[in-house]
Amino acid sequence: MPSRKQNRAKNGGSEAELESAAAPVRSLWSGTITFGLVSIPVDLLTAVRPRQTAMKLVDTSGHALGRQYHCSKEGKKLNNDDLVRGYETDDGKMVVITDEEFESVAPEMSADIELRSFVPLEQIPPLYFQKPYFLAPAGKSAKAYHLLAATMERTGRVAIGSFVMRGHEYLVAIVSDNGVLRADTLRYADEVRTPESIGLPKKAKVAASKVSQLTKAIDELTHKELDISELEDREAEALKELVEAKQKERDDVIHPRGLEEEEPESSGGAQIIDLMEVLRKSLSKNAVVRTAQDSGPPISLAERRAQKAAAQTSTGKKKATPKRKSKAKAKAKSKTSRKRARGA
Amino acid sequence: MARAMWKGELQLGKHQVAVKLYSAVEDKSIHFHMLHAKDRAPVEQHIVRKDTGKDVAKEDVRKAFAVDKGTAVILQPDELEKLVPPESRDIRICRFVPPSVLGDQWFERPYYLGPDGNEENYFALAEALERKKVIGIARWVMRKKRYLGALSALNGYLTIATLRRADQVLSFSGVEPAKTASPSANELKLAEQLVSSIEGDFEPELWQNEYRQRLCKLIEAKARGEKLERPKPRKKAAQANLAESLRASIAAAKEKKVA
Repeated sequence: MPSRKQNRAKNGGSEAELESAAAPVRSLWSGTITFGLVSIPVDLLTAVRPRQTAMKLVDTSGHALGRQYHCSKEGKKLNNDDLVRGYETDDGKMVVITDEEFESVAPEMSADIELRSFVPLEQIPPLYFQKPYFLAPAGKSAKAYHLLAATMERTGRVAIGSFVMRGHEYLVAIVSDNGVLRADTLRYADEVRTPESIGLPKKAKVAASKVSQLTKAIDELTHKELDISELEDREAEALKELVEAKQKERDDVIHPRGLEEEEPESSGGAQIIDLMEVLRKSLSKNAVVRTAQDSGPPISLAERRAQKAAAQTSTGKKKATPKRKSKAKAKAKSKTSRKRARGA
Repeated sequence: MARAMWKGELQLGKHQVAVKLYSAVEDKSIHFHMLHAKDRAPVEQHIVRKDTGKDVAKEDVRKAFAVDKGTAVILQPDELEKLVPPESRDIRICRFVPPSVLGDQWFERPYYLGPDGNEENYFALAEALERKKVIGIARWVMRKKRYLGALSALNGYLTIATLRRADQVLSFSGVEPAKTASPSANELKLAEQLVSSIEGDFEPELWQNEYRQRLCKLIEAKARGEKLERPKPRKKAAQANLAESLRASIAAAKEKKVA
């Protein structure tokens, strides 16, 4: 993987840290968006935080646990270097595919996202959307990046393209969200079922009175805005309550070593970086990242476009934080986190 | 014909609509086994202590919630059991909102709903939703877990997509290009021309998972003991200045359209 990666370990304390506490994210892929003959080098970052219900495995006395591969024949421990992936054919044959072969399947697709069509966003049914990622400009591509974002906002269109990351091809819609480009992965048409393929019944005759009754019921429950409290994680809340109660009672509180070393499954050893820091450095020095929970009701792209002027004058003014210190700290820490990433 | 995963009842105000839930997605990815490179034997995953590397029996594994870097709280199985929400068939609609208030980054996994018994109720609700052009914020409990979703109508049928939680979705403000990185009016105009020369409709059938197809071919060839030729990487065009690249791209796109 290209080494065009920025790295900043999480460090506590400073004001900048408090603001960006919402945003430790991972750079997962580096490549180039091509748009006609214009190319924009970018880093792909996670745009979704993991749910706050994630838990660690420990034993009954609180020692941190991890998973370890063993060979089923020899019974001995295996490292990642000892592993290969095999495909079992219908007649029971095991075909081994090496890492080089996985990469050689489509080398050009691993480096580029070619934007092949610009389509109206509202034409993409929600069934297609899979997972959002942020794109941060890399190298000196900020101008071309802003140009693409501005053009998509002006035309109300999003770009469709595809690329390969870690042995999977992703269809993506490149969306400009408040000046930041997002790559939202889409499902392929053959992965999306239809009422016919599921075998749902053909549309039945419906009495007009029935529809108007339901329309009325809908009207009574209709609001212009979301209520964020309805979108909160109730499971995480219940879990946190229990944890706090136990902590007060000093019941089952442990201080295990090595707990923080375990990377979430989705990260695949990519580095933890701070999204806001990256975007401030590469894109806009006043960029602010928040969770939907912190920023009030989320607004649509169209509404955002309208509110943009207002937003730009009202945000990001207080952020002249003394960043120097925290950066030095981060540098010292980044070494350990790099090591960790390699080991994973 | 797909089998229903679950049965529930939509609750909106005084009205109930009985539904069956079906996955709207089909897994098409190629699945591999993890093998030991040396002897091609499948691998087993053991749970081990990180400090000693020793195996830990399943019944001795506990879950712990990390409070901060050095502190965690063990949650015993009976305590976790108490957190399981009470079982229910209700899919409660909290409110209806215009679809534009939910960006696509909220959507996680889609399901189709089908009628369970009374088809008239089902299709009447789909029609009413289409007429009002709104989606419903829904909450329900399925298989011991709480779900959050968006109920909407698609081509006369009901769908419900699970949504991410409010603390998972990130948003931005204050993004403004630095003066040196601000595109000029001319560049903006050219970029818009380029977009209009390659704009179209969203036609998902036109997009094939090329990587998956090539990987399938590679597996088939290797299974037969053949070797596949490696595709050559494409050459990348050199980046001239931005405006020039845009002009050249527009010219190329026009040529393509004529041809």
